[in-house]
This record gives sequence, structure tokens and C-alpha cells, in this order.
Amino acid sequence: MSEPQRSILKLEGVSKTYGSGELSVTALENVTLSVNGGEIVAIMGPSGSGKTTLLTIAGALLRPTVGSVEVCGIDITKMGESKLAAIRRDKVGFVYQSFNLLAALTAVENVSLVIHKRASNGRTPPTDRALEWLDTLGLSHRANSLPKKMSDGEKQRVAIARALAKDADLILADEPTANLDSKRGHEVMQLLHQKAIELNKGVIVVSHDARIRQFASRILWLEDGTIREHE
Amino acid sequence: MLLVARKNLFAEKTRLAISVGGIALSVFLIGVLLSLFRGWSEQVGSFVEDVPADLWVASDRATDFAAAGSLLPAFLEGALERVPETDIVSPLIVRPLEMSKSTDDRDDTFDVQLVGYDPKKALGGPLRVVEGKSPPGPGEIIIDKAMHDRFDVDIGDRLVRGNKSLTVVGYSEGGDFIYTQVGHVTLDTASDFLEFDQQLRTFFVLTLKDPSQVDLVAKRMALLLPGVKFIPGDEFADDTRDRILGNVLPILIVVMALAFIVGLSVAGLTIYTATVEKSREYGILKAEGFTNPFLYRVVFEQSIVTGALGFLVGAALTVLVAPFAQNAVPQFVVFVRWQDIVGIAGATLLMSIFAAYIPIRRLASIDPVTVFKG
Repeated sequence: MSEPQRSILKLEGVSKTYGSGELSVTALENVTLSVNGGEIVAIMGPSGSGKTTLLTIAGALLRPTVGSVEVCGIDITKMGESKLAAIRRDKVGFVYQSFNLLAALTAVENVSLVIHKRASNGRTPPTDRALEWLDTLGLSHRANSLPKKMSDGEKQRVAIARALAKDADLILADEPTANLDSKRGHEVMQLLHQKAIELNKGVIVVSHDARIRQFASRILWLEDGTIREHE
Repeated sequence: MLLVARKNLFAEKTRLAISVGGIALSVFLIGVLLSLFRGWSEQVGSFVEDVPADLWVASDRATDFAAAGSLLPAFLEGALERVPETDIVSPLIVRPLEMSKSTDDRDDTFDVQLVGYDPKKALGGPLRVVEGKSPPGPGEIIIDKAMHDRFDVDIGDRLVRGNKSLTVVGYSEGGDFIYTQVGHVTLDTASDFLEFDQQLRTFFVLTLKDPSQVDLVAKRMALLLPGVKFIPGDEFADDTRDRILGNVLPILIVVMALAFIVGLSVAGLTIYTATVEKSREYGILKAEGFTNPFLYRVVFEQSIVTGALGFLVGAALTVLVAPFAQNAVPQFVVFVRWQDIVGIAGATLLMSIFAAYIPIRRLASIDPVTVFKG
């Protein structure tokens, strides 16, 4: 059963400034954003607009200078590093532009590595669960392949399997189609869209790629650190 | 072992081989040097230890058997025999000297620890005669078999010093001090050959009727005879070891420390470069919610496994190669003790811990945000 109104991410008046004094740079300024379950929010904008900073703050990797961040109703604004790591482990799944699979691990190992006891619900061993996800994403034949033996499209699907397999509520995708041709890019976005709706995940996709618009519930435009709804 | 640690370690086989090889070389060097020291230590003290005497008697300033810096009056023999607790008292004349074969160049010398003993009492004489006649007659010498092996001295050869010579009549075992070997002659031959005062002796060796009273008797006799030392055999053997190996030990310790540093450097550098190369992947793991202690464990396990493999290879090389080296070079006397192997295992563990230290510090500084770049 989907819960469309479940709050997955809430950013309130978030600003981020790097450095101090005259050399300080403001990457985000007074950003307010919320993402609910089953929603895909596309964030677009030019290079250097603050997209990655926004993603890393939402993903509990970076603390804001000002404002508050809630992930699944938990205020993470002032959390220490070990608690933030637990939030990332349990609540956040990442899909990266350059896939970021571990080179020495096979596809199934890359996916099973991030499955924790909570995610596997104590029912299915992590490897079996990882295999199920690879199968769901049409990669069962690649389960024992190393990343170097896979195409970019396959690698990105493994990365999506990794993000979904850990049963995270928030999925953050950074330019997920940037290294893929248009056909593979379309497939990957379709998959992400389908699983987000099906599993009631909140998804943020940061991209330059205009083709992702068709999969987004909302499109936001980020420029010079400030965010606005895109017509 | 953690999956990531195992996979990363065995994915880079060349790097693993270099790392294991470095530690193995270090373990091998430490093992061989330590075994060599043990071997020498056993060997250089064994003659003194194996002479079946309860006490060695020497002048007050004497330090050990090898230097033989002791002079005692010959009449002391009678005085010692009159002590009720003594059983056998045997005089020895001992001098380290250089000799050559009569058929060789006079400059082509080798060291001999000449021991003059009383064949009637036999105490202090050759330990085990393996070939030839015993006891030696006037002008005759029984040499240690090691001298025969190393310097080609055969029965029938004449050993020369100055204008005097001794004829080799037999081989004995148990008198090899590595750098020198004992040669046994009678007391009279020793006095004559060394032009030694007939009224002097170097040591006396004696047995007691009740050997369990050795310490008590030694103390009592030292009080009765001022200026004379009474030393138990094992203690005198230790003094001899210290005399011969005391100068070698610091060098061995330095070389072993260098070997340790070589192993540590190779292991540390390879693990560090592996960590630097994989820093993006460690960043991914951090981004995925893995904590620093988990990542430390990954590096630490890699270091420990590398150390364990290096230790196994190095220890196996030590055990297998050392005896071959001994066959090829007689002076290369090794004695591999299991206690030393355990000690080297401990040193390897330390090596692994230190090798992981800098990479672990590096891990702590990896910012997971960097994984979003490129």
C-alpha cells in the first residue's frame, strides 16, 4: 500500500556557506523543500548552482550552516557523525553519476554489502535479497560479474539495485543519466520512477538532462543557491 | 574476515605479492639472524658446558674459557684434592693461538684453542673422540673435527707455530667455538709447546662427591683460597658466550631492527598506496553509512592477513633454507627455536599494526562528499 503523503524529506530555510570572511562562498541560500513518499522531485540548474550541496545536505553528508533538515521525521540538523552515518545507512540510498560501485566486488556483492539486518528484516539473507533485486532489475545474469565487465547501463542499474535493496526511504540520484546514452538513460529513469511509486520512496534527481522531466512529479530550478518551482 | 577487506586484498595480486614478499623477507632475515645467534650461542658454550665438571677454578681476574686469562700455581691441585668434598681435580693449560699446517704457507694460519690436560684424569680432555688415537702422546694433538672439515687438517698432518710443531693423531667432537676449535694435548706437551712455566696452570676442573652441594662448596673454597674463583660449569659457559658473542649481539640487534623496518616500510607503503588508490571507494562506503571503525577494520584486517601470509612464507623459508646454508657454510650454525618463531610472529603482528596506522589516519580524513565529484 502506498502512503503518498508520508514526509520523507523536509528542508526549512537551509543555507550553506563554505569558508569565512571575504573568502566565503554561499552555495545554498534559504532553501525550503519537502519530498513525500512516492514523489520524484527533479532539481535542475546550471553547473555551480548548488545542486550537489543540496543533495549532500539532504543525504546527511553535510550539515547546513543555517536551517533545519528532517529525514523521515527525524531532525538531523545537529546530529553527530555516527548518528548521521546511521541515517545514511538506514534511510538514504544514493545513485551516482559515475555509478560508484566497488571495483573488487561483483554485482551481487556490491548490492548485498549495503543490506543491513534491518533492511533484510531478518527473513532473507542479504545475498538472496541482493539477487532478488538484481533479478527485478533484469541483471540476474550479471550477478557475479565485476563492474569492469559490465556496460555503463548495467552498472547504473546495479547502483539503483543497491539504493533500493537497502530499503531506504529517500533516494538521491546525482546526474544518474549523465554517463548513459539516451536509450539507457531513459530505461534507468523509467526504472527509478517505477520503483519510487511502487515502493513509496521519496526521490530527488539532480540533473542537467531535460529528458528527466517526463518522470518527475515536480521540477525545481536551482540557481545561485536559491530554489524555485519550474514552470 | 570482512568481504571488502578480502576482496580488495586479493584483487591486487601483484601488490599483495610485494607486500607479503617484503614481510616474508623481513621475517626470514630476522629468523635467520636469530637462529644464527642461537646456534652460535649453543656452540660456543657447549664445550665448557659439556665438560663433566662441577666447578671450574680460575684466578680472580679470569673472565672466561676463550680468553683463558687465568694463571694458577700448580701446587693448588694438591690443596684442592685435600678439600673433603672434592672427588677429581684435573689441571688444564689453555691458550688461544694461531697455527698453520706444515705444508702450507706460514701466513696461512687458523685459530686453535690449545688445551693441555692430564690424560690420567681425562677431565677437560676431548669430549668425544671420533677417529684416531686417544689420549695423545708427547708432541701429539687431537683436533676438533670442525678444524679437519674447515681447514683440511688431516690425521698425520703437522701443525706448526714458530719452530715447534704438533702431529695430529685424532679427531674429536664438541670443541667447535665457530671462530676457533679446541686441540687437545697432554699437560707436558702444552707446557713445552707454549714454553709455559711448569709451575703454572690455567684452570682446574673438579668434580664433587655430592654435586648438589656445588654452590655451598664453591663459596666455602672461595673463602679458604682468596684470589681464586670457583665457577659452576653452566655459569662459566655463559661467561664464555658473553665474551665471544657480546660484541656480535649489538650488530645482530641493529640488523634485525633494520629487517623489521624494511618489512614495516614495504607493508606500510603498499597498504598506504592501496588505501590512497581506494580512497574514493572508502568515501562511497562512508556515504553509504559505514562508520570509520568499520573502515579501520577493513584496513586492519588487510594488514593482519598480509602480515600473517608474510610470516608464514618467511618462517617456512627460515626453517627450510637455514639447514642448507649450514651445510654449505660450516660457520653458519643455526638453531631454530619455536620460542623464537613465536617471538617473530609477535614482531610481525606489531609490523602489521604499525603498517595499518598511517592508512587508518588517512581513512579518517576521507570526505564522503567527494564521491559526488566526477
